[in-house]
Amino acid sequence: MILSWIGRIGLYIGFLSAVVGVVNQLLVARRGRHSYALPAALASLLGIVLAVGAMQTALVTHNFSLAYVAENNATFTPLLYSITGMWSALEGSLLLWSLILALLVVAVVVYYRRQRDDVVVSYATMVLFIVAGFFLLLMVGPADPFLLNPAHVLQGAGPNALLQDNPLVAIHPPLLYSGFVGFTVPFAFAMAMLLSGRVHEQWPIEQRRWTVLAWGSLSVGIVLGSWWSYQVLGWGGFWGWDPVENAALLPWLTATAYIHSVVVQDRRGLFRVWNLSLAVGTFSLTVLGTFFTRSGVLQSVHAFSSSTLGPVLIGFFGLSLVSGLGLIAWRGDELRTAVGVDSPLSREGIFVMNNVLFVGFAFVVLLGTVFPLLYQAINGVQVTVGTPYFAAVAGPGSIALLALMGLAPLVSWRRFDGPTIWRRARVTAWMCVASVILLEVAGVRHLAVLFVVFLAVAAAGSALRTLANNVTAARRRNDLWSVLRSPSTAGMVVHLGVVILAVGIVVSSSYTSRTEVTLSANQRTVVDGHAITFHGFAKRTTALETQTLVNVTVDGGRLQPAITTFSGRSQAVGTPAISSNFFRDVYLTFDAVGQGGSTSGAQVQSNVPFGAVVLGVTVEPLLSWLWIGGLIVGLGSALTLGRRRSSDEATA
Amino acid sequence: MRRRTIALTALVLVVLTVGFTALLATRPPIDATAVHSPLLGTMAPKFSGRSLTGSTVSLQHDRGNIVILNFWASWCAPCKQESPNLTSFAWSQRNNHVKIVGVVYNDTVASARSFERYYGALYPSITDPQGSIAFHYGVTAPPTTFVIDRTGRVAATLVGPATQGQLNAIVSRL
Repeated sequence: MILSWIGRIGLYIGFLSAVVGVVNQLLVARRGRHSYALPAALASLLGIVLAVGAMQTALVTHNFSLAYVAENNATFTPLLYSITGMWSALEGSLLLWSLILALLVVAVVVYYRRQRDDVVVSYATMVLFIVAGFFLLLMVGPADPFLLNPAHVLQGAGPNALLQDNPLVAIHPPLLYSGFVGFTVPFAFAMAMLLSGRVHEQWPIEQRRWTVLAWGSLSVGIVLGSWWSYQVLGWGGFWGWDPVENAALLPWLTATAYIHSVVVQDRRGLFRVWNLSLAVGTFSLTVLGTFFTRSGVLQSVHAFSSSTLGPVLIGFFGLSLVSGLGLIAWRGDELRTAVGVDSPLSREGIFVMNNVLFVGFAFVVLLGTVFPLLYQAINGVQVTVGTPYFAAVAGPGSIALLALMGLAPLVSWRRFDGPTIWRRARVTAWMCVASVILLEVAGVRHLAVLFVVFLAVAAAGSALRTLANNVTAARRRNDLWSVLRSPSTAGMVVHLGVVILAVGIVVSSSYTSRTEVTLSANQRTVVDGHAITFHGFAKRTTALETQTLVNVTVDGGRLQPAITTFSGRSQAVGTPAISSNFFRDVYLTFDAVGQGGSTSGAQVQSNVPFGAVVLGVTVEPLLSWLWIGGLIVGLGSALTLGRRRSSDEATA
Repeated sequence: MRRRTIALTALVLVVLTVGFTALLATRPPIDATAVHSPLLGTMAPKFSGRSLTGSTVSLQHDRGNIVILNFWASWCAPCKQESPNLTSFAWSQRNNHVKIVGVVYNDTVASARSFERYYGALYPSITDPQGSIAFHYGVTAPPTTFVIDRTGRVAATLVGPATQGQLNAIVSRL
């Protein structure tokens, strides 16, 4: 009861502070009044911290007087999953979103404190306060996380079973949200430039760092999400082109385009309108993604909660995109540049191709995601758009991008210079040819794999060459650590991560073998060169769950795929076991048991002998490269943090 | 002319955005989709169970009626949207030998009872302690609905929240 009031008071403080912030910043920009951005941002943060504190206290103490807690928590929910319960449904997710945004607003205000009277900074801060105010308004109004339960509840429903069997639930959503929320900063500055008319300044280049941090966080969030579904869902896959996965991919694609095209603005002063449009588009796509996830208009495995917020969210999407485009229409022709791209094979020419590919791909994904809605609106018939549609574009598109990734660092700005490119590419080119011959000799005949490896080695070679140059330059300065601050280091490390990830995806999906084996006790079999022995069953009961485990050894290592029944739920879920190393993953699922094997939850199959087990075995080579690649991408993006302020940004 | 291209392009995009937004804002939440399940046309797997209110329900006993078998859970958001539709359908068909049977999918009995009480269901729902009914029907996510004809064969499978209109259309065919 008291917690509900504390929470609501916190939300009101947060909302009112944001409103004060908006009004104050508008006055700063228009009339040159004194800026109270920092007090407003801190007060807003304080209010949200109060609300989050109230929600966490209620979750951790299982206080079911709050309807949200009763729906997402139970007395037997352990501490970790009580805490993460805050983002397992809509209202609490908005709390997390607002918390991250409030922290970001404080960070921006502190970072630009010396320029707080600058018109662009105050307009940008105003836009940030408007976005923060919008999300707080949702919680003050239609999505109140602090509604009271009308009846007295002794036991809550507990979080969804799928959201309480992997600790990644504590990391994946916050990282994803940090990425989404982070794109508010480039959006705010783009709007500020257009509002103030100071469209010729270099703010987008300054914004590149905020964007790279958000982008890195989103990338790692997406990869961790794939890792999670790979470990939990039991089909050995990591991506399904589900609308909610696409919702995270869309802003990622446009942000990637932005990070690259801003470099061209820095070097050549081109693409001004384009960069502003990408900043506006990326932010709008994060709102659109939230709409897809929460409105219930699309079918998705992630539709954990649907709500009545759909029209409000899509309205906010429309508003942000229309106001951005409207401002561009108003100011756009002031942004025209006299110069253009001189040669399609210059560095800027390659960046144009990069942008066309990323934005084109985003358009294709967007079309595939909303196509069922468009089709139904016209024909009244329901259709689904599946993997083949997306894969048909994703495959060739990624290959083209990989090729550009190898080419771009070798090519000069402004002009095409064949001899120089050859001089830079010589070593790499021989490495590409050598690696393909090596694979051919080793018996790899898969054309896609050979092609991708060729391009991957080229891209890795280009990245390593740039890194080596950076190290040499740092050594000449007698300050080896400065290589980490060198502008292109972060970008090239990210490129290396992406190359590893790409090879992982292509090789693992080209060489997956999937079989089902039936084994009696102590029987041994060989699948795809891996010795698998079944030793018997085991049972484990904890307060949280009851598990029936299968004791198996794979190449000598012990694995225990299981069927798990969570306390308070009747349904059993399969828990796969994975033996993973640098070269391959062996993925085991407990599919069924023989007659009379009365193990809890496991399916009994009548044509399988007594005491035997049916195991699903999936062997995927180089799958762990996906996670390693993702980690390197994250590390590369984090390098941006160490760079000195307004140093020569964006030459990657 | 050339000086205005950026403004014109942006204005065209504004119009497209408004249209796109209006379209998405007016989309109703999805209804159920009729899917091609391997069970179609085959004898429906037998089941029996104890309902949330304590009575016994079995498919055998309902033979000769059209049976609407609906898998649901209290934690499933589309089920909240679907439940009132099923109840009004049950009321409109009460004299036509159409029976609705709910199966509680991956839920606690306590939450399922309070869900049923809250939405005032006019049909029994049985528990599925081993998950075996759901397994035999191949249900992976609620809500999923099976329409079983008078001879006990599966006539339709609906994934997602079923509406009264959809169910009426299927039942009138049988």
